[in-house]
Amino acid sequence: MEKIPQQNFRWGYAIFVLLLLSILGFMAVGIISLFIGVDVESLSGNVALIPIEGVIVGTRDSGFLFDSVTASPDTVELIEKADKNPGIKAIILEINSPGGSAVASEEIANAVRKTNKTTVAWIREVGASGAYWIASSADYAVANRASITGSIGVIASYLEFPGLLERYNVTYQRLVSGKYKDIGSPFKEMTAEEKALFQQNLDLIRDFFVSEVAKNRNLNKKDVDKIANGLFYLGMQAKEIGLVDEIGGKEEVVAYIEKKEGIKAELVEYKKEKGLFDILSEVMGKQSFFVGKGIGSSLFDKKPSASISITT
Amino acid sequence: MKRLNLPKEKSFIGPALLWKRIAAFFIDIAIINLIVLFPFRSLFQNIIPKDYSFSEAYKLLSSSTDYTGFISSVSFIMSVLVVLYFFMLERKMGQTIGKMIMKVYVVSDNNSLKPWQMLVRNIIFIPMFPFVLLWIIDPLFMFFTKTNQRLTEILSRTRVVEKYSFEQ
Repeated sequence: MEKIPQQNFRWGYAIFVLLLLSILGFMAVGIISLFIGVDVESLSGNVALIPIEGVIVGTRDSGFLFDSVTASPDTVELIEKADKNPGIKAIILEINSPGGSAVASEEIANAVRKTNKTTVAWIREVGASGAYWIASSADYAVANRASITGSIGVIASYLEFPGLLERYNVTYQRLVSGKYKDIGSPFKEMTAEEKALFQQNLDLIRDFFVSEVAKNRNLNKKDVDKIANGLFYLGMQAKEIGLVDEIGGKEEVVAYIEKKEGIKAELVEYKKEKGLFDILSEVMGKQSFFVGKGIGSSLFDKKPSASISITT
Repeated sequence: MKRLNLPKEKSFIGPALLWKRIAAFFIDIAIINLIVLFPFRSLFQNIIPKDYSFSEAYKLLSSSTDYTGFISSVSFIMSVLVVLYFFMLERKMGQTIGKMIMKVYVVSDNNSLKPWQMLVRNIIFIPMFPFVLLWIIDPLFMFFTKTNQRLTEILSRTRVVEKYSFEQ
């Protein structure tokens, strides 16, 4: 015959266990929120607000820690996430950017066009160049009266200093296999032929930019071509020439969405949150990379000296 | 004629009745859900809007690797807390709150309950392969063994018993 268990149930111990596990649960929730890059508080709501801030770049690690940049892979991911979320009825692009990489701008503009949700571009202070390209891809564009918009054009200017090198008796030893391999090198003077070729490519990108804006805004390409001279327009001027649909701010944007979708808009910010691990690994990664190069110079010298970037 | 001096009450222990075991389990799950997993409820409510159907919630959670990684981490931590609930109470007192209410006990085939036995009998709560396979197999054993033991109870050499008594 088996022995009857002699242990007596102790309520004090049971309550202690429940309290302990509950506290552990609260701590776990806090730690999870801190370490994993998911902003759990921001996942409710029916209108996604996606910021397009600072320079538009094509890679995630372009900004130094707290620099305000918009990395196209992150933004495209956020747009797709909002598009897949059945609770989100509309997407607002809160734009405050002077533009940036032509490729990155196009990637974001394509993602905006592909969504099945209502998209509204809200230009606050600046929505110029590449940022305007993105704004034009939305279903509706609202801009502040005094905001800077437009600036449709392409730029690839750079400093050229062969004269300076010569003055200090530094010679550029040209070793290339391929006639145009070092086109755009700041250490040598650009030939007329190279310049023409470069200009040809810039014109091609500009032409594509103009076509995209005309298509997105349902405008005549010739009309857009006339205003695509790189000049910026104030919000009120942009409204007159058809670059934006309405003058206003957040209220006008929300009113448009509520009317179109027949909903009471609850805005929720979609932002790429960096977890503690992300920030630490970013800092560690940058520090490791900059050892030897000089941490001081690394903070300011962000671009390789012999490269040209085409920005819109 | 002289009568034998037998005890008035005779008692012995045997396998706990199935319905008592099931009732004890649901009481424990209710308590765990109310108290231990309470912090996680608000976390999930923030992610999944209340009016979402199951398919909508599934679509949302599978829309990004962020969500799936997040759900996996949270599920794992929740399961650890559930295992700890059973582990701490059964190890110390041989009973959880549900078992105490239903008056059933966990006993070891050996003398006392060892930590490894507690872990093995509660490993079913970890939502990872291959343990998830036990979610169906493990309770089925209870219905087909004489001693009403689950598979993990057989492996851990433990049983859930109750005290039967009758008067002579």
